[in-house]
Amino acid sequence: MFEAEATADVFLMTQALSAPQTAEPSVEATLIEAVLNGERDRFARLYEMYAPMVHGILLARVPRAEVDDLVQDIFLHALRKLHTLRNSDAFGGWLAMITRNRAMDFYRSSKETVEVTEKSAVAKSPNRTAMEILDLIRSLPEAYRETLVLRFVEGMTGPEIASRTGLTAASVRVNLHRGVKLLRERMGVVSEARP
Amino acid sequence: MDNNYLWDRSGEIDPDIQQLEETLGTLRYQPQPLQIPNTLQIGRRRSFYPLMAIAATIALVAIALGLWFAFQPRQAAPSLSANENSLRGAKPIERQRPPQNDQPQQAVVGPGVKPPVTQRYRERTRTLLARNKVRPPAPPELTPAELAEREQVLVALRLVSFKLNVAQRKAQGLPAPNSIRNQHKIG
Repeated sequence: MFEAEATADVFLMTQALSAPQTAEPSVEATLIEAVLNGERDRFARLYEMYAPMVHGILLARVPRAEVDDLVQDIFLHALRKLHTLRNSDAFGGWLAMITRNRAMDFYRSSKETVEVTEKSAVAKSPNRTAMEILDLIRSLPEAYRETLVLRFVEGMTGPEIASRTGLTAASVRVNLHRGVKLLRERMGVVSEARP
Repeated sequence: MDNNYLWDRSGEIDPDIQQLEETLGTLRYQPQPLQIPNTLQIGRRRSFYPLMAIAATIALVAIALGLWFAFQPRQAAPSLSANENSLRGAKPIERQRPPQNDQPQQAVVGPGVKPPVTQRYRERTRTLLARNKVRPPAPPELTPAELAEREQVLVALRLVSFKLNVAQRKAQGLPAPNSIRNQHKIG
């Protein structure tokens, strides 16, 4: 139900709310052009800019132990396929889509291994509370999961999430508020269930 | 409660949100250098301009060929009539043909007149036939004296033919043919 509401809100976005995205200078386009012209070292700047986003999207979906390797794989894949990106300003959305697809592929290929690793990772984690909250976030609908991780784990603000992922600002705002509300409800249920 | 802190960390601080940030911030991304292998091939962005230029060139050549084939039969018709004139010596084509046959060919030669489609194909086959066919020269015209002599020869030939016919019937025992035609029986 929450996903349906979030989707409906995305279609009701106003132009004024999405306008600041287009006014942002396109550093990405310059860097991508340089990389395609042979300066592959410039890709490191793109990596610095977008690695937290990729890390957050992966953390909302796959076990934490697998995230770092997957981040590297995704950026190498993006570098290999960078010439297929037609609109350089859409690099963030393109990279986010690659990351989501890679997370789905990970679950398709090794679902059993994921479950075991997840339990062991939680058990070995020094900060058990953080992993418990992260597990609660992962239990939320997908539309809220990603936004909440980027906001609370990666420390990005709403406008930053919107500009990096290619989502509209209004969509991110709706996902944040409804996700936090749902997370609070589930955290209250968990705390009440504890002895 | 002011929700701006959740959106962009502005306004009044929400303690629950701040607690979530502090707790979950321990899982934040730790920067690591990207290891790009030297063997990694970066593809080049494809430019469609060369392909479009080649396609445009092919289209122009096709149009030019189409126009050339369309106008070629009209240009060939005058040279063909000139060849026929040279074969026949000094006599022009118009004197040997009926007037209605000459009109289509003149219509083809004419630069401003566009013949109907059916006549165009007919003219094309006719010119092809004319190109491959060598016609004999026309007989010369006779003078009145020559015509009189020819008439005398024809009468003599007709008389000889009649006499030979009579002789043949006599030899075969048949009655002589009646020289009077359309004769009705009396009684």
